Amino acid sequence: MNSQTEISIGKIRRERRARWPRTLRLLLPLSVLSLAVPLATIAQTKHTSAKPAGIAAPQKSYGSPSAPIVMEVFSDYQCPSCRSLFENTLRPMIDDYVAAGKVYLVHRDFPLPAHKYGYQASRWANAAASVGHEQFAKVEAALYDNQASWSNDGNIEKFVETALSSADLKRVQKLMEGCEASPTASLPGANLRNVAATAAGCAFDPFIEQDRALGQRIPVQATPTFVFTHKGLRLPPSSGVISWQILKQFFDSLLGQ
Amino acid sequence: MKTLGSLLLWLTDHGYQVLVAGAVVALCVRNLATRRKVVRWLLIFGGLVVGSVFLAAAYGKMKPLPGLAWSWPSVKASMAFFAMQVESYQLLSPGAANALAHLLPFFELFLGLWLVSGIARRFSSVLASLAICGFMVAITSAYARGLKIDCGCGIGPPEEVGPRALLRDGLKFLLPALLVLIGAFWIRQKREEPAAAEPVPTTKSAA
Repeated sequence: MNSQTEISIGKIRRERRARWPRTLRLLLPLSVLSLAVPLATIAQTKHTSAKPAGIAAPQKSYGSPSAPIVMEVFSDYQCPSCRSLFENTLRPMIDDYVAAGKVYLVHRDFPLPAHKYGYQASRWANAAASVGHEQFAKVEAALYDNQASWSNDGNIEKFVETALSSADLKRVQKLMEGCEASPTASLPGANLRNVAATAAGCAFDPFIEQDRALGQRIPVQATPTFVFTHKGLRLPPSSGVISWQILKQFFDSLLGQ
Repeated sequence: MKTLGSLLLWLTDHGYQVLVAGAVVALCVRNLATRRKVVRWLLIFGGLVVGSVFLAAAYGKMKPLPGLAWSWPSVKASMAFFAMQVESYQLLSPGAANALAHLLPFFELFLGLWLVSGIARRFSSVLASLAICGFMVAITSAYARGLKIDCGCGIGPPEEVGPRALLRDGLKFLLPALLVLIGAFWIRQKREEPAAAEPVPTTKSAA
């Protein structure tokens, strides 16, 4: 490279450096604009209307139906993520926001074909819900707490026994007559409609199928999936495990509207 | 506002097709001066395309949830909802996911405006490419771990993480960003070359 070329390149570099403050001065208004645009949009208050979502009367729920926020959770009792959500998020939420009347939590059954005993677990939970809300809460907690055990051998009744009093247990067992798991139902990937057909006479299958049909309309792709309804308007569904910290922040932001 | 929104969506959906066609044309042009002109115009259009992607993403994350009007509380509620989607990737702690969810929409808005403006295009396109790559890595990680979650892009209808989301992000978002990046550096290089070859005039001494 000759000296004349070096001088030219040096000149170019000096010009480029001199241009930098100008570039930064140009970027500064952009930064301000990126904050100002949301403000300007907020100034034109545009009301969006949406159809109110209809909610069927649930059987497995916590809290007051008149709460401003309704959270429907589509879950499978044999799903590990659902267990994680229940233990780490829903439990503190029930003790806090549900108890305070801010949130109405509804459990929707969505047993997955890949989970061998998920459908049967849903039947037990529904049977407990038929006896009473307190019994449902105890059985649900027992199912999730001991998921690792009954997922292996399908012995769900053992843990229902430990959760309920003897009187309640007898009532639940009576309701579960005709709901024994059929051989075809235990096969992985079994068509759940066949499960309902082979266990004809199980009173709880229509409730489970109703929840599943509701989930398919959303559509529920995986469990857990949750749908929020705020002041009668259904929000887009979310799925996956979330912490109570993040969920609480979301509830606070909705309640602060 | 609706027209602008439609234009943004069109640029997001189809802009990459025009850019790819333009890049092919630029490569076929033999005359250097003509090629530079074509590339300059493509860079302006490319900036609009990539900028639209980020502007649409920012809008998707900030827009009010159904039934809510535009207001600071509703924007905060939307970002709190987005925080749940970020956390569902299970890559960050709740605190970090929350912080990212509240900063990312403003960053996307800033980057979108920067790209559209055309200022320091090399740097804005590098940042855009890195941001899109980071997002694709997160989607790949979530898919590899078997998570069935919404990608949380905020552009268009909800898309589950998976090969389809990766293909969409690669084709519609990363490809235009890389084309703009390559074009911006090429133009800068071509601009320096003639100036470097130009001889410095010498003063004539008195006879």
